[in-house]
Amino acid sequence: MVIIGENIHVIAKAVSVAIRERDAKVIQDLAKAQTEAGANYIDLNVGPMKKDPEENMQWLVSTVQEVTDLSLSIDTMNPVAMEAGLKHCKKRPLLNSASGKTDSKEHMLPLAKKYNCNVVISVITDKGMPPDVDSKIESIMDTVAYANELGIPNENIWVDPIILPVSTAGEGQRFAVTNLEFLKILEDVLPGVKSTVGLSNVSNGVPDELRPILNRVYLVMLEKNGLYSAIADPLDKELMSLIKGEMPKAVELIYRTMDGGDIDLAGLSQKEVEYVKTAKVLMGETLYSDAWLES
Amino acid sequence: MEYKAPIEAYTGAVREATIGKGNKSLKIGGENILPLHFFDQGSNPNPAKFALEVLDMEPQDWPEHLVQPFKDVISDPVKWAKRCEELGADAVFLRLVSTDPAVKDSSADEAAALAKKVAEAINIPLIIYGSGDDKKDAEVLPKVAEACDSMNLLIGPVQKENYEIVGKALLDHGHNASALSPLDINLLKELNVKLGKFFPSEKIVIDPESAALGYGMEYSFSLMERVKQIGIITKDNMTMMPIIADLGAECWKTKQAKENKERGLLWEGMTALSLLLAGANILVLRHPQTLKLIKETIEAR
Repeated sequence: MVIIGENIHVIAKAVSVAIRERDAKVIQDLAKAQTEAGANYIDLNVGPMKKDPEENMQWLVSTVQEVTDLSLSIDTMNPVAMEAGLKHCKKRPLLNSASGKTDSKEHMLPLAKKYNCNVVISVITDKGMPPDVDSKIESIMDTVAYANELGIPNENIWVDPIILPVSTAGEGQRFAVTNLEFLKILEDVLPGVKSTVGLSNVSNGVPDELRPILNRVYLVMLEKNGLYSAIADPLDKELMSLIKGEMPKAVELIYRTMDGGDIDLAGLSQKEVEYVKTAKVLMGETLYSDAWLES
Repeated sequence: MEYKAPIEAYTGAVREATIGKGNKSLKIGGENILPLHFFDQGSNPNPAKFALEVLDMEPQDWPEHLVQPFKDVISDPVKWAKRCEELGADAVFLRLVSTDPAVKDSSADEAAALAKKVAEAINIPLIIYGSGDDKKDAEVLPKVAEACDSMNLLIGPVQKENYEIVGKALLDHGHNASALSPLDINLLKELNVKLGKFFPSEKIVIDPESAALGYGMEYSFSLMERVKQIGIITKDNMTMMPIIADLGAECWKTKQAKENKERGLLWEGMTALSLLLAGANILVLRHPQTLKLIKETIEAR
């Protein structure tokens, strides 16, 4: 599993202040910590970066590259900032992200061709978010075909099915299940493409102390169905242990839950029971509530 | 070849709740089929029930055509409740609206005394709701529960903010709890889980919030439908409770119902009928003519 470290993002106030005030240490500490924790890419999520996109992005990229050898994921919806970021990367970067929207096809995808980089392409189109597996597949096939015509090979494409918060009444859980199914068939319909997700969004809106277990269990579940990479928090030690094969028993238990195996909760530790309950929520078997671990 | 309609069998069943005692009681819930799926395997032993609403003070904002059937008794909640009984209601729903700090802020003791008087005066079961102000209800409802000790009433609304204190009082004095959450299935389940930790599940009734036709009714409809599906199809322990649709107040708040009597009756009637189809087990109405209209509609089915 390729982990794209998510911790440098402008939603964190410290990060946005650091970029504005050119405080390299804050940024570099985050980059170093994620590198040491075993991330494979460092995501630079700068949002729309409306002010001085070129100078800001160039500073950010070089600041991070001073302390890490990892490849960078340039995460912005502003094509000017995007190009500035891609241009200054020493290693082959990841363009994060493009979509099937006309605007994105015209301004983002050509950059992926120009810089011959990897590119995240989401299932979103001008029509918005496709509501089910079939329409997600249909949308992504259209956009990937378009990218191929531009000269971007499948191997460079990381498909993002878009994760939504599981706590969103009704819909959230359905989307969690939809994404599991989507990943299962992606390889068949678009051979050679890779995949990625913005993992933490699954637990958005959930009480803070309960977010990690949702992220962890969902990542294991997505990996079982073929997920190639995730934008996630590499500083979550348990998350990293799970995907690095250091917790085979827990992984096996989650797999068994997904396969519908009969699981005797009485024989399990508290932690294991929580894994099973969480997997059941994410596969849509138990209705979500903030009290899902308590019932 | 002859067509044979498929027949579904379900694994879940809504718990059966009893409101009131002895010959002053009624049962709601108990079905192991989806709403009105009489063609499937299973049954609904308790067809939907209807309560008429009584306020603990003279209504301030009711249109004349809604006051009319109760005009001579409207300043006396006990007589008003008896009138509801005569008019064929299955239960009386007493709303302690005067306790609301924004209305009269009347005391918990007054409310409790009235609740007891009403409960003793009628020969049908009683449902009691506080004003909905969660802080004030946390004072009022425990007193009400105590005054009506062991009458097995349905009392609410029990909310996320006050379920511990109100739930405990209801438990101590042998009542059912009506658990209210704001139109959201995840919050609804969470409240049931938390309440259910110390309160018997078979004495919990779900109030998912019932919006009026034209004012978000479709949200209430989908939510009730989903509660039933999750309970009956997937057997979720924490949604297998009967549902109360507290809809009369919402309907008669609308401009459309206030302006015109016929339209008001149809507004309340259509909302009630829709929520009945969605799976409501007990419905709270305001106008006795709506009650008559709905009962006739059901009998003509």
